[in-house]
Amino acid sequence: MDPGSAADPLSGGGSALERLAAHSADGFPHLLAARRRTEEELARLRARFAEGALAGGATARLGQDEGIGARRDVAVVLFGSWGRRELSAQSDDDWLLLVEGDGEAEAELAAVRAVLGGGTREPGLQATFGVASSAHGLVEHIGLQEDNNRNLTRRMLLMLESVPVVGDDVYRRSWLAVLDRYLAETRTDRRPPRFFLNDVMRYWRTIAVDFAGKHRADDTKWGLRNAKLRTSRKLLFAGGLVPILRCHELRSAEVRPFLCAQLALPATDRVADAFLAAGLVDAGVRCLGAYDRWTGMVGDAAVRAELAGLDRDGAMASATFVEVRRLAAELQNGLLALLFETSLAPALREYAIF
Amino acid sequence: MMPVAALTDRRPLLGHHPIGASTGFLVEARGDWASLADAAASLSPFTAELAALSEDELPGLLGYLAALDGSLPFHYLSVHAPSKGLRMAEAKLVDALARLPAYVDAVVVHPDVIDDPAEYRRLGARLVLENMDTRKARGRDAGELAPYFAELPEAGLCLDVAHARDVDPSMRGAQELLDRFAGRLRHLHVSSIDDAGHHVPLRAGDEEAFRPILRRCRDVPWILEAPLTP
Repeated sequence: MDPGSAADPLSGGGSALERLAAHSADGFPHLLAARRRTEEELARLRARFAEGALAGGATARLGQDEGIGARRDVAVVLFGSWGRRELSAQSDDDWLLLVEGDGEAEAELAAVRAVLGGGTREPGLQATFGVASSAHGLVEHIGLQEDNNRNLTRRMLLMLESVPVVGDDVYRRSWLAVLDRYLAETRTDRRPPRFFLNDVMRYWRTIAVDFAGKHRADDTKWGLRNAKLRTSRKLLFAGGLVPILRCHELRSAEVRPFLCAQLALPATDRVADAFLAAGLVDAGVRCLGAYDRWTGMVGDAAVRAELAGLDRDGAMASATFVEVRRLAAELQNGLLALLFETSLAPALREYAIF
Repeated sequence: MMPVAALTDRRPLLGHHPIGASTGFLVEARGDWASLADAAASLSPFTAELAALSEDELPGLLGYLAALDGSLPFHYLSVHAPSKGLRMAEAKLVDALARLPAYVDAVVVHPDVIDDPAEYRRLGARLVLENMDTRKARGRDAGELAPYFAELPEAGLCLDVAHARDVDPSMRGAQELLDRFAGRLRHLHVSSIDDAGHHVPLRAGDEEAFRPILRRCRDVPWILEAPLTP
């Protein structure tokens, strides 16, 4: 099954997150509401791109024949909270124009910028997003000098938390090309794909090291970034790590379809599915319950503003930060139980350290 | 369904992480908080419970924590609030507990010492209620804890498995506590208790009885309220 497919092959009725929520007294109201919001906004965006909303703006200026609907070799891909299906009113539009072919894409970029990233939703300042990126580079530059931080980030987020709004075929081909590059050496039964595993682990360590590097001299937004590192970024990592480790129970021919099916789901579904499969229902309820409460907090403008204003020295004086820290510990404890107190533990020991 | 075998539970109970010590059983160093914290950290630097079981121990603990340069090594640190020798007004006791440093993750309170739950709301999500044994008149099972949680919506649960078995040897009461309050569970107290109600090292019979409960709690810290061996 391809990653762009809508069907959820793991479902026994509802998503894994909904099935786990059924075991919880409170459910996961923030996560499920954010998921609905994201799907509504994705449908709205797709309609704007598909029904010529751009024709009245940037594409009319550019000429319809040169507009984004005319090219068959580009995709508009959204990342971050869009990809996790956790959109809030406070979310950025982290988007990328994925280009398969050659040549410049200025017209297409202008067209996309007319729709995405306006006002406070502007993508980050590091030019990782909000620009064009070669699909070829994401596939061909895995490791070595040309796999810089930006390329690594784009590739990992493409695989772990992305969703297309234009060019589904281009997106799917690019996604599968990266996966197949990771799986090229996977020929042994009951062994997780180590190339993919190493890259996912490298990405998590890169995020953590870059956080320290970023704040060595400048504590601007330390509180919000630290909170995200403890929560959303950690779930992103777990959402890749857990499905890859679960491959140690598969025959080699089963790995590709399993990862395609798993990674097509939001990370919270992948983690919820692993908790259900392991029979760790209580731990799963606490783990994703904590993440649910964080999702509610980070969607609150006042909470975000408070966290963004905290520096390292003052953070523990903030009741909001202390609560985030507590929720993050519950999230981590649940993930650690999933990894170390189930049959994933031997695979983790065998493959995740050396 | 993808052809992935169910992830199965094979780990021995004491393979759990993190397990830590309550300083409550380190009686020879009582009052010497630096030594108590060091002894707890030598057993596990990941989690511990600093037990100020009598009210007269609390000022010393507050003074020790306030004077620390930095924080303690534990990732999860609990403080057991006094349940004996209570003389000060409830509001003053809660004031003192609220002054615990922010890196203290949990403040364990026995529900039977709570007169006015509203006072304890100031402790927010750090407040953790412990289920009681048969010697106590309140807070022994899910039904008796429910009104406290209704008054204290942010409070967590410390499940004392020995108390739960004392109340219901079949452990159905412990299962009900988890069924009703699984989302509130923060940590466990693990030990056996003798006929006088004292916490003693875990007995084989209890370990077997506790096993189904402990399996439901593999993600939270376990605090030993007695040494592992006599």
